[in-house]
Amino acid sequence: MPPLVQLENVRKVYYGRAVLNDLSLEIPEGEVFGYIGPNGAGKTTTLKILAGLVTKFEGSVRVGGNDVARDRDKAHGLIGFMPQSCGFQSWRTVQSALDSLGELSGVPAELRAKRIPALLERFRLLDARHKKVKDLSGGMTQKLGLIQALLHEPKLLVLDEPLEGLDPPSRNLLKEIIRERQQAGTTVLFSSHILSDVEDVADRVGILNNGKIATSGSIRALVTDFGLPLEIGLELSVAPGNLGYLDELGTVTQHRPDEWRIRLVDGTPSDPVVHAVIEKTLAAGGKIRKVGLVEPNLDDLFAQYIERAHAN
Amino acid sequence: MPTRSPTRVMLRDELVGFARSKVMIVLWVVLPILAIAAYLLLPQEITRSRGLGGLSATAFVGFLMSSVAGTVAALMVAVDIVSERNRKVYELFVIRPIRRETIIWAKFLGVFACVTVACVVSLGLGIAVDAVRGRAPGGDELYDIVKSLVSLIGVIAMASAVGVVFGVMSRTILVAVILVLYVGQNLTIVPMLPVYLGWLPNQFWLIMLITAVLTGLLVYGASVMFRRSEL
Repeated sequence: MPPLVQLENVRKVYYGRAVLNDLSLEIPEGEVFGYIGPNGAGKTTTLKILAGLVTKFEGSVRVGGNDVARDRDKAHGLIGFMPQSCGFQSWRTVQSALDSLGELSGVPAELRAKRIPALLERFRLLDARHKKVKDLSGGMTQKLGLIQALLHEPKLLVLDEPLEGLDPPSRNLLKEIIRERQQAGTTVLFSSHILSDVEDVADRVGILNNGKIATSGSIRALVTDFGLPLEIGLELSVAPGNLGYLDELGTVTQHRPDEWRIRLVDGTPSDPVVHAVIEKTLAAGGKIRKVGLVEPNLDDLFAQYIERAHAN
Repeated sequence: MPTRSPTRVMLRDELVGFARSKVMIVLWVVLPILAIAAYLLLPQEITRSRGLGGLSATAFVGFLMSSVAGTVAALMVAVDIVSERNRKVYELFVIRPIRRETIIWAKFLGVFACVTVACVVSLGLGIAVDAVRGRAPGGDELYDIVKSLVSLIGVIAMASAVGVVFGVMSRTILVAVILVLYVGQNLTIVPMLPVYLGWLPNQFWLIMLITAVLTGLLVYGASVMFRRSEL
C-alpha cells in the first residue's frame, strides 16, 4: 500500500532563501508523525504546502495518491488542517462558524447536528456555543480550531502546533483524541515544540533542519542511532559537603540544586555505578531521595541534534 | 439531506455577515432616516416649488445615497478582505474543497447586494415621503427614478469591484483605504470615458453595459490574483 503522505524533493524559496530544500518524507496510513525542528526550519511551510495554502513550490506532494497541486479538491477532501493560529469571521458564533465550515467540508446537516455538540462537549465548549468567536479566549479559539479540523473526520489530520496555548487538561484531551483517531485509521501529522507531548503520542518523529528531514524514525531508534549516553540521576535530601567522589564515576552535571546527573562513559554497565553512587553517598554522610537510570528522551535527542548541527 | 454547493454557502454567509455589520445597520436604517430628517429640515422655498427649484424627497435621498454608497461599498469590501486575510480567516476556507475564486465572488456579491438594498430602501422612503406630501412621482418622473436607481446600482457594482481589487492587492487596511479613496473614486467614472471621448454614443443603457462588463472583469481579475496568492 502506498504511503498516505508523500513529499518528494520539495523545494520552497522565499525571497531567495530556500526554506525547504529537497525535502522528502513518507508517512504511512494510520501513523502518528511528530514533526519537530528549530524555529524557522520550515515546519509550518511544509504543513501549509500539504494543506494547499502555499501553492508555489517545486517537487511533488501527494495525499492518498492525489497530487495537492493538480487534484486539489480530492486531496483536500482527505485533510483536516489546523493552522498555527485560527481566524474566524468576527460576527460568527461558535455554532455558526463550525456549522458553516462543516458544510463547506461536505458534512451533511444531520451529521453536523450530531458531531458539533459532541465535539464541543468533549472540549468543554458547549456552554460557549452561542458566544461570538471574537469573545473567546486564546485557548478556546485554539480548541475551536481543532474542532473544525476534526468535523469531517478526515483521513489525514495535519496540526500545526496544536498543543500551544492549551491548558494541561486540554493537552491531555487532545493527545487522547489523537490516539482515538489513530485507532479509527486516521493518519496524524503534527508539529510541536512541546517534545514531551510529541513523545507521548508520536509513532515516529522527523527532525527538520535547514529545509530537509535531518533524521526520522521512532524515538527509541533515534536515541540508539544517536548513541545518546546513559545517565544516572541522583536526588539528595541532604547533600554531603564534598561530591568529588562522583567525578570518579563519570561526567557530573548539576540539574537542580538537589539533583545531579552522572553521564556514563560509553559501554560502562549502569548497575555497578548505581551501587557505587549509593554506597559512596551514604559513606560521605549524604541522604538519598532518589537514584536511578535516566533514559534519554526526545528532549535530550533534540538538544543533542541541535548541538551537533551547530558544531558542524 | 445533501449539502449545498460551496458557492451558495459562501454567498449566504457573506450576505449574513455584511447584513449584521454595524455599517449596514447605519446604511439601512440610520442613513435613510437622517436623509428624510434632513430633507424635512430644508427651507420650504427649496422643497415646495414644483418648478426648477423644487426638490423632491426622492431626488434628495437619491443624491445623498449616490454620493456615499459607492465609497462605502468599496471601503467596506476592501477593509473586510484585508482584515480577514490578516486574521487568517481565509485559511480555514481555502483548505476545504472549494475554489478560491468563490470567496472573492461571494464577498463582492455580498457587499453589492447589501449596499444596493440600502439604496432601494432609501429611495423607497423618499418616494413614500413624496407621496404623503402629495407629490407622488408618476410617468416620466418614475422612469427617471428607475434610471437613477439603475445608474446608482452600476456605481455600487463598479465601486464594490474596485474595492475587491484593492482589498486583494493590499497588505494593510491603511493602504487599502488610501487606494480606495484616492484611486478607486476616479476609477468609477471609467465606464463613461468612451462617451466623453466621443468614441461611443451617449446612451444610458450602453454605459450600464460597459459598467457591467468592467465590473465583471475587475472581480475576475481580483479572483485570479487571490487564487495565485499564498496565504
